[in-house]
Amino acid sequence: MSAPCESALPTLRDILARVHLRLILFAVILATASLLVSGALVIRNYSQRNLDLLAHTIGYTVEPALVFGDDQAVREGMIKVGGVVGIDHIEVFDPAGRLVAEWHRGHTGMPQWLAHRANAVIWPHPSVDRIERGGTAIGEVRVFGNAGGLLRYAISGAVIALCCLALTVIATRILARRLQQDVIEPLGAVGTLAHLVRSERAFGRRLPPSGIAEIDHFAQDFNALLSELEGWHAGLTSENAELARLATHDPLTGLGNRALFERMVGEAIGQAVRSGASFAVLFLDVDGFKAINDQHGHEAGDAALREVAERLRASVRHVDSAFRMGGDEFAVLLGPLFNRAHVDAVIERIELAMGQPLLIPGFGDASLGLSIGVALYPDDGVSPQDLLRRADAKMYKHKHDRRTNFEGGMNDA
Amino acid sequence: MPLRPLHAALPLVLLAAPLLANDAGGGAGDAASGDRYAGAVARTVTALIEYSTWPSRPNPLTLCVAGAVSHAGQIEELRLSDGRKAVRRNVAPSAAALGECEVLYLGNIGQPAMRQLVAAVRGKGVLTIAEADPDCRSEAMVCLIYLPAGLSFQLNIDAVARSGLRLDPRVLRMARGGS
Repeated sequence: MSAPCESALPTLRDILARVHLRLILFAVILATASLLVSGALVIRNYSQRNLDLLAHTIGYTVEPALVFGDDQAVREGMIKVGGVVGIDHIEVFDPAGRLVAEWHRGHTGMPQWLAHRANAVIWPHPSVDRIERGGTAIGEVRVFGNAGGLLRYAISGAVIALCCLALTVIATRILARRLQQDVIEPLGAVGTLAHLVRSERAFGRRLPPSGIAEIDHFAQDFNALLSELEGWHAGLTSENAELARLATHDPLTGLGNRALFERMVGEAIGQAVRSGASFAVLFLDVDGFKAINDQHGHEAGDAALREVAERLRASVRHVDSAFRMGGDEFAVLLGPLFNRAHVDAVIERIELAMGQPLLIPGFGDASLGLSIGVALYPDDGVSPQDLLRRADAKMYKHKHDRRTNFEGGMNDA
Repeated sequence: MPLRPLHAALPLVLLAAPLLANDAGGGAGDAASGDRYAGAVARTVTALIEYSTWPSRPNPLTLCVAGAVSHAGQIEELRLSDGRKAVRRNVAPSAAALGECEVLYLGNIGQPAMRQLVAAVRGKGVLTIAEADPDCRSEAMVCLIYLPAGLSFQLNIDAVARSGLRLDPRVLRMARGGS
């Protein structure tokens, strides 16, 4: 509806208005044309009879004057009877073909050329009446029709038709507007809502009830469909969130996984670049985990890992995050720091927490050690790779040192 | 006597008929005899007879010519357009001689005699035509008038109404139109 490609399409209102207009134009023109034609034919027919009658009447009237040979009386009788509307001119001839009298209508209020043209078309032949007396022709009357009346009829008919057309065009507009109010506006509301749902996920919106049964049913169904869509959308959103959480978290311990850790390190670097603060990365490796796994089984190993994760989570600050990188390796991202002492304090808390004996349900106590490697941004590197490599290396060094110390201790004992 | 007022009251109508123009060259005899009105008179008389209706439809009609006439040279046996004939009979200008006349053509017999004859046939269905009474004082139905342009006649409507004949109303209307 708002997209540019759709605006080139005609709207329903345009189509309705156009169809109505064409229909009514067709009807009016058809009715007008048939009325004009049939009216003109009827009028012409009657005029023809009128002309014939007039010719006969003139013949009857001027007959004595012709017998007496009184041309003046012929002319006067002819004008008295024939000088009426609808006659263009009259001619009276004697048997020898001499023009005894003639009469022409003067100006009729119409252009001369138009009157001549119309007369020639409508009355190409005059009405002729032979005047007879005792079986002998004594003269002939010719009456030529005047098309002025017919022309006026045609013109007034055309004007009335034009007025009717104008009225119908206005009526069509009104009709289209009413249709728009009753039908197209509710449909437009559906379109707008559909667009809102698509672009803004406005599943909570509903169509108002309509005064037309079909449209009201349609709106109710549409609303029901929206409700279903809303439910599906909510389900999909929560499923997506769950999937996203699964993709970035370790299912066993609930900590973030390696992927999340790497992403967060990247974000922390970006943040540190902007703010100028520093942060630290801790790598942790559980010593002795393999022994628990081997001696007490995987179940006990999992329990030990969960316990480690829980203690780690409890030991870091709320700005820090703990991750399980895989196996018995963990990592901690320490948020904005001011100096090394903060790092040391956290490490101290972690080591303190890990120092407590580990109670594994159903398996008894166990003791676990922790090797920790630290890398500081920006001191130990400015890229994620550098930081991780550095922390890893330090952790292994720490592990190696502890093992050497432990073995040395064993030897000492 | 009430002659003058009666005349004044008479609705005399003039029918100007340029008959001569049509007939002037018609008869060589007329031209030779010097009577340029003879043909027109015969034609006018014929037309008047044709447009008059008698109660009984006489055939042939008797056209009585009374007194001395100057322009009735071509009035002998007139053929009407409906096939009937009018036969001329010269009669003496006296009321007793008019018994069988359907048409009375009055020659130059003087006003009193003319009036007497007209009065004698009034109401008896006789068409009276005065040849030599241009002012129509004789109270004849039709009075011929001789104009330089041709022959013309006056209709005496009062006489027509009292004649017992029916004259075609078109002739009356035609005459009125010329009044």
